[in-house]
This record gives sequence, structure tokens and C-alpha cells, in this order.
Amino acid sequence: MKKLAVFAFLMISFSSFAQLERKLENENQPVDLIFHAPRHINILTVEPLDKKSMHFAIMHTFGTLNGGIENLFGLDNGANIQFSFEFALTDKLSAGISRSSRDKVYNLYGRYLLLEQTQNDKMPFSLSLAGGAGVNTSRYDFLPEPAPNFSERSSYFGQVMLARKFSEKISLQLTPMMAYFVDPRSVYQIEGDQNFYLALGLSGKFKVTDRSSLTLQYIPNLNSDLRSNVGIGWDVEAGGHVFQMYFVTSQALNEQYLLAGGNGVPGEEFRLGFNVNRIFAIGQKKRKY
Amino acid sequence: MRNLIIAFLFFLPSLAFSQSFKTESGEAIFLSKAPLNEFTGESEKLKGLIDLEKNLVDFYLDLNTLKTGIGLRDRHMRENYLETDKFPFAEFTGKMKSIPALNTGTTYPVAVVGKFKIHGIERNVEITGNLQKTSSGNLELKAKFDILLGDYEIPLPKLVFYELAEKQEVSINATLKPVK
Repeated sequence: MKKLAVFAFLMISFSSFAQLERKLENENQPVDLIFHAPRHINILTVEPLDKKSMHFAIMHTFGTLNGGIENLFGLDNGANIQFSFEFALTDKLSAGISRSSRDKVYNLYGRYLLLEQTQNDKMPFSLSLAGGAGVNTSRYDFLPEPAPNFSERSSYFGQVMLARKFSEKISLQLTPMMAYFVDPRSVYQIEGDQNFYLALGLSGKFKVTDRSSLTLQYIPNLNSDLRSNVGIGWDVEAGGHVFQMYFVTSQALNEQYLLAGGNGVPGEEFRLGFNVNRIFAIGQKKRKY
Repeated sequence: MRNLIIAFLFFLPSLAFSQSFKTESGEAIFLSKAPLNEFTGESEKLKGLIDLEKNLVDFYLDLNTLKTGIGLRDRHMRENYLETDKFPFAEFTGKMKSIPALNTGTTYPVAVVGKFKIHGIERNVEITGNLQKTSSGNLELKAKFDILLGDYEIPLPKLVFYELAEKQEVSINATLKPVK
């Protein structure tokens, strides 16, 4: 009889289960937004693009602030402007083209997300690779010597981005970077005269409000006597845009020039910089509702 | 042993003719109509249970599965608005005000009352929809209701009011199969 009671109890409890058990679709849900955008001041981040989307960025750096109000804090002195379009080929791989006005450099680059930090910390960090090749398209007709040929105008870069969101507020990224100039001529707007440059990018984000963060960038050079790049800024998410305003010691915007371009003294030769990031969906499916 | 068999036979009907229906792949659509931007967040991972015998209606959605078609917008939605790392689910648990006869092929309007929870905030709601029993024995549910982000303490900053609507129009579309 006891057996019967137990069995009956089991059957009842089996046939009368209550609410559904709440289960996550993906236990290894990736962490969202280690950084606000695929760029952080000047450095590419681990933030991936989703397939069929395009990241468009306009970046500017102006003249130095020390001209004061007369030059409207450097805004009069002409900006270095870079436009970039990065297309996602898959959720992890993207290809981009950028054009910066300094030496009229066109860059073709790729970015690949190798590892992605997860919310359950099974994967404690995100890791991305990026690399590219650029060509300086400035006219050098005025030179007494023959103008540089295509190969002499080209430069390359490669970098590894290792990032972690430590808490809701703090994210850091370590970026070993290298750049190679086939022929680093003095007529190019770079300060270095080496072919090969090595540096370690450090990026930090400290979230201040839900939609804005204090940002930091420090890029010590590892194999040159050039000054290291220092930047401090403010990221704001507004609708679908991410605005990035910052003070930085270099006017360079693309990766090769960031390493070889040279920097001013922090505090004295800070300049204002401003990026606008926007993600577009391409070939979006038709809505239904 | 004989007692056992009798017990089994006694409870068998409640298993075989169980009045509960389940889905693992219902569709949920959040429509946001803001002055400058209209978009939807869509998921096909709505989990639901309707138990006619006990009058239990229980649905939940893993909000991480909501897709708006733009990855960055999804990330902003998860991180800034829904805070899915803390509150991953939208949930409804309640009951039907009255259980319709559910003759096969006829669509019945139904009203459910219960608790809806999103962003960690629970509120009493009443939702109306349509329920139909198909010839294959499934239950088809369609429902529409609105939620105001402010009711669930999801703040809408002034800067983005033109891109994101305070009122989200939610549509639910699910085929629930009988549980055997």
C-alpha cells in the first residue's frame, strides 16, 4: 500500500508539472559592447560587425590647441580626415577601406574576431586580429628627384587586439601593433625614418553613464625614439551613432601613421579629435508584422 | 504488483489525454514606431505552455534572441535598455478568464490575466488574443499587446526619443503541440 501511495504521488506530480523552467538559449552568451564601437579614439577594437552590416566612420583631428581662441583651438588649422567603410563578410570577418587626407593614404584592411568573451567567463577575453596595406597617393611632381613609385609609396600594418570587459564599467584592450614602410621618405608626413615600427596600444573605457564613457589611449613605441601617443576622450551613444570626442597628441589616423607619424608633448600639443561611427544594415530582410 | 498496475491504469488517462500544450519556437515581435525610425525586434524562440486542465498560461522569451536586423542596435538594446545580463527573460504567467470550447477549426477570442515581467519588473496585465485548435490537434495562439518602457523602468533618454518608441507593440504567434 505504501508502494502504491508513492507511485500515485509520482504519477500525480509527473502529470501536473507547473511553470516552464526558464532556460537560456545560449549558455555561452557573449559579452556585449566591450567598447562602444569598432574604433576607440584611433585604435581598432574587438567589437565585431554582424554579417550584412557596414561600419562607416568619419574621423578628424585638428591643429594643436595652443593657438588658442585666435585659431579656434586648432580648428582653423586644417584637419586630417579619414573616412572608412568596413563591411562584414561574416559575423567575425570584415574587410574595410579607409582614406586619410594626410598624404592621401588609401588603406585596405581586414579584421577577424578569433575569440569572444562570454558572460559566464568560460572565455575570459576577446581576441581579434587586424592587418592591412596602404598606399600614399600624394603628388610628388615638385621633387627634383623622381617621384616614388607604387611600391615605395606602400606601407603595411598588423595588430592583435586582446580585450576584456572587467565589469559593467571598465573595459581594457591591449594592442601589440606593428607597421612597415617600404620607403619612409622624409617628404612623407611622418616623423620616423625607420622601415619597421613596433608599439603596444593600451585602450581603456570607463563607463560614466548608461550611454557615455571616459576613454583613454596610450601607445608607447617599442623600437623608436618617437614620442608615445596619448589620448583622452569621451564616447557618447546617441541613437544609432557613437560620437567620440578626444584630445590626442598626434594628427595621424591610420595605423601606419599612428606609429610612424610622431606625437607632440602631452599637454602642450594636444589637439581636438572627433569621430562619428555609424553601423548600416545592408541587404536587410523585408519587415513583416 | 497488482495494486501498482491498477494505480497505473487509474492515472493513465490523465497522461494520455493531458490537456496541456507546449511550444519551443513561438514567434515574438516587438514593434517600435518612433517619429524617425520604425523597426522590429524579432525572435522565433518563444517558449510557451497552455494547460487547459489547470488553466495555466505560461510563456517566456530569452531576450538575447531578439534581433532587430542591426547588430549594434541589438547590443545597445541588450546592454542599455533590457540589461539582459541581469534580466535575460521576458515572462508571462497567468490564466484565461474563461476557457473556450475549442471546437476544431474555430477561432475563439481569449483574454488572459496574469503577471508580465521584463527588466526585473513585474506587472499585472490583461492580454487578449485568438486561440484555435487545428485539425492536427495543435493550439494556435495569436496575441497583441502594448508595453510602455517606462512601466518597466526602462529609461528612454531624450536624445533618442525619435529613434526608439516608448510604446512597444508586441505580437505573439505560436503553435503549441499537445504534450503526450
